[in-house]
Amino acid sequence: MTLDLPSNREEAWRWADIGGIAAAAVLAPIARPDASFLDLPGAKLLFVDGVLDDAASDLHRVRVGDLTPGTHALGKRATKGWSLHLDEQAVAHPVQVVHIATGGDNHVAAEIVLAADTSAQVVETFVGAGWSNRNTRITLGKAARLMRAVRMTQGGGFVSIRDEAELGEGASLVATTLAAGDQGVRIDAAITLAGEGGYAEYGGALLTRDRLKQECAVRVRHAEPNGQSHQLWRAVAADQSQASLAAAVEVARHAQKTDGEQSLRGLLLHRTATVNLKPELEIFADDVKCAHGATVGELDARALFYMESRGIPAPRAKALLTEAFVADALDRIADETVREAFAADADAWLESAL
Amino acid sequence: MATKNAEAHAAVAKKYEWGFATEIEQDFAPKGLSEDTVRYISAKKNEPEWMLDWRLKAFRLWQTLEAPDWAKLNVPPIDYQDAYYYAEPKQKKTIASLDELDPEIRRTYEKLGIPIAEQEVLAGVEGARKVAVDAVFDSVSVATTFRAELKAAGVIFLSISEAIREYPDLVRKWLGKVVPQRDNYFATLNSAVFSDGTFVYVPKGVRCPMELSTYFRINAENTGQFERTLIVADEGAYVSYLEGCTAPMRDENQLHAAVVELVAMDDAEIKYSTVQNWYPGDENGVGGIYNFVTKRALCQGRNSKVSWTQVETGSAITWKYPSCVLAGDGSVGEFYSVAVTNNRQQADTGTKMIHLGKNTKSTIVSKGISAGRSDNTYRGLVRVAPTAENVRNFTQCDSLLLSDQCGAHTVPYIEVKNPSAQIEHEATTSKISDDQLFYAMSRGLDAEAAVALIVNGFAREVLQQLPMEFAVEAQKLLGISLEGSVG
Amino acid sequence: MLQIENLHAEIDGKEILKGLSLEVNAGEIHAIMGPNGAGKSTLGYVLGGRPGYEVTAGSITFNGEDLLEKEPHERAAAGVFLGFQYPVEIPGVSNVQFLRESLNAQRAQRGEKPLSGAEFLKLARAQADALGLQHDMLKRPVNVGFSGGEKKRNEMVQMGIIDPAFAILDETDSGLDIDALRIVGDGINRIMRRPDKAVLLITHYQRLLDYVQPDRVHVLADGRITRSGGPELALQLEREGYVGVGAEVAA
Repeated sequence: MTLDLPSNREEAWRWADIGGIAAAAVLAPIARPDASFLDLPGAKLLFVDGVLDDAASDLHRVRVGDLTPGTHALGKRATKGWSLHLDEQAVAHPVQVVHIATGGDNHVAAEIVLAADTSAQVVETFVGAGWSNRNTRITLGKAARLMRAVRMTQGGGFVSIRDEAELGEGASLVATTLAAGDQGVRIDAAITLAGEGGYAEYGGALLTRDRLKQECAVRVRHAEPNGQSHQLWRAVAADQSQASLAAAVEVARHAQKTDGEQSLRGLLLHRTATVNLKPELEIFADDVKCAHGATVGELDARALFYMESRGIPAPRAKALLTEAFVADALDRIADETVREAFAADADAWLESAL
Repeated sequence: MATKNAEAHAAVAKKYEWGFATEIEQDFAPKGLSEDTVRYISAKKNEPEWMLDWRLKAFRLWQTLEAPDWAKLNVPPIDYQDAYYYAEPKQKKTIASLDELDPEIRRTYEKLGIPIAEQEVLAGVEGARKVAVDAVFDSVSVATTFRAELKAAGVIFLSISEAIREYPDLVRKWLGKVVPQRDNYFATLNSAVFSDGTFVYVPKGVRCPMELSTYFRINAENTGQFERTLIVADEGAYVSYLEGCTAPMRDENQLHAAVVELVAMDDAEIKYSTVQNWYPGDENGVGGIYNFVTKRALCQGRNSKVSWTQVETGSAITWKYPSCVLAGDGSVGEFYSVAVTNNRQQADTGTKMIHLGKNTKSTIVSKGISAGRSDNTYRGLVRVAPTAENVRNFTQCDSLLLSDQCGAHTVPYIEVKNPSAQIEHEATTSKISDDQLFYAMSRGLDAEAAVALIVNGFAREVLQQLPMEFAVEAQKLLGISLEGSVG
Repeated sequence: MLQIENLHAEIDGKEILKGLSLEVNAGEIHAIMGPNGAGKSTLGYVLGGRPGYEVTAGSITFNGEDLLEKEPHERAAAGVFLGFQYPVEIPGVSNVQFLRESLNAQRAQRGEKPLSGAEFLKLARAQADALGLQHDMLKRPVNVGFSGGEKKRNEMVQMGIIDPAFAILDETDSGLDIDALRIVGDGINRIMRRPDKAVLLITHYQRLLDYVQPDRVHVLADGRITRSGGPELALQLEREGYVGVGAEVAA
């Protein structure tokens, strides 16, 4: 099957696993795995291979139907999906979406439009096997707030998401993605702070093992002054896997007083693994505070020894230190139930990988 | 067989010599680039057959390549057929005295503090050459003692054309080994048509007795369009090489595509410093040099070390990434860079540190200063191979913006395949604060002096890597390059 | 030496100085005291020529010349020294380099010969010694990593080196312990108490004035000089507070 995706020669696709996507798209059918929702009030949507399971879903304010596909190489494949529109003054319960894949490829679009001063929370979970591809368009009105958390815990295949977000004046987007399954991953995002004083946090943790390749390719664009953005990513790579973090900040000509920060850190668990980092700054305004830090290394040997000398077995000590390394990224999730569920997924992955 | 080939070659060369009889009188190859041009250049230089074959191979490869698609650069298409690829160093247009010199250039010389005699040489004042060289560098005698001293130490320091004839085995062993012909479009072009350049060989255990630099400012005026430099430091050898000139360099050749290859054997150290001040074009970006350079070092030996230091203030477009392949265990690569862009200049520069050996270390310090409507990009790669245990890298990239119409970009790539590596990268972006400017001005400095002072502070870590007397000139140069950038 | 007439100045359109007049003669030390927000620092910055401080009316004449016409560095060359309340950090530039360039730029503007490196170092060391500043502080980047007290002492070392005719010292006493205060006070007396020099001390408290006896004391409130007097006025302020002497900020 030809996928018509860009090649690795294209800068934004340098570390993408095109072969992994192709292989996932032709995975043989598997039995439908179990999946459950978190104990939160609000809408619950269950998609099986990209099709809504009406019986298992509770839509609340969410609509399901056709959506205009964009032009992005990944995003354009999704033409149907769900949408959440909040008018001014509206109050929303959280929206949970569970995506089950049972082989082959599936594509779902989503649209989140929040009017001024509204806020919403969206939690998504991926399970199963196959190529699950999502295209999410986010529009935040003045001072609107969206908290989004996505966990990718498929047992095989590939999950790709394309997020396009536009933040109005004083709007806030906090998005955290955890990849802790056994699937390849591409997190592809274009976030634009289109109004003055916007705030964006876009980050997460990628945990890879076997021969998997996971990556994020995120670009935050400050189009207006006084915006703030933070991209905090952690990558842990075991076995022969590859984790790649490409995060860019772009500051437009008149977007003065921008505060853009990137923190990219990679941890290699085995000598056969690879971590790639690319923290990019593209700055056209002179009165800005933009800084990034990037590190790659292994666990602190002195800390490991210290813990062992206090009686903690080596694997546990490693797990504790690695959990702490990953926790930085997951701590950004404000909802305690969601944060704990994500942390438990990460811990479970680390226990089995170490 | 060999003799036959040589004869055939000579015949071919001869034929082309004859074929270009009229041109020979004028001493340049006809416009355009073809196999004939390559043969002409090789024949003019009396090169051995292997060298011609090497050039032709590169030329044929070049014909199959496409010009690169630039990431952050805006490069107008270059017509490679509308250029001359070989000319004997032209007699400079002479002037009777410095008074006839373009006052702009004169002013810059004075600001740099270049002695009058040396100014005359740089400006091509009639009759000044010998006197000036005598006055400044004691000309022939210095050159002679200089050569004698190097010879006594066993250091080979000559033009690459001479080296090809006199030390063919050494040149053949290393030419194209660090920067292969097919490395990139401009390296391939350079391999086919390089005009001249420098060859340095420092034998085992020899510490080169002098900076290979003092001599250079005078020589720099003959710098060609397609320079080729090869420096080999044998076991335990040390050499410090300085390229370029703080004085403004005007050249009619718009495209400069040099290749520099460095090889360091066990315990050898090479320090390579560059000050680049080619003509940057006017405030509207008209004219100016395209400087597309490939510089790479192979740290072949254990505990070898290569240190690149560059101060880039000139050229309309700069594209260069002096790099280190750290193959030998315990080898060290360093890159210290100051890049200043003003008006419409574009600079895309940085380094690649390729860690292959165990316990290899690299340090990258890049200071980008953007003013006017210019664009300044740091682009770098730190790669750690699976075999490279205990690698250490520290990278610091700082950008300073002096206007709200310029751009500063940082594009670092970090690729690590060994868990014992410790890689740290930091970057900051800032501007000169109004408080700093006012504080310095309230102590008596005018706005330009205050900016120059603060910029020099910003670039200090890099400037202090330069040889002493050069660092002073480089400091002044930063100030001059930024003239008119403060409102 | 310095005449300020009916000075009005504003920042971002907000009027801070509202008709301030003041005359300082050679050989005099004047203290400007006043409550927070009265405009004391603004007066210092306007005298120094800081950008963003706009003079809307009035005049400042220094030794017969219009000070407002001059750029900050020209004021420095004319003999005006501004001691900063918050001295600025300049990374990568050593104190020695900063001051030598500053001093030589001033000398050049006055048509004097530049000092050589050795001459300058001798001068700088002597001033550092006099103010108890370690010599290695001279080699360190300007104010980077200095404590509050060290920064203030460094300002005085700069004043000693530059040897100005007129110094405006803005809250030079803040952040100093009692020993440092005495050293700084001695420094001001030593460098500036001359028949051909004058000082404007801007301060909130009496304590520096115990060491540097002012000839005149002025109370600055709501952008104007509201009272002037001899040294006894400072003591009265200390006892009775600004409200007691009628220097409360107008509501």
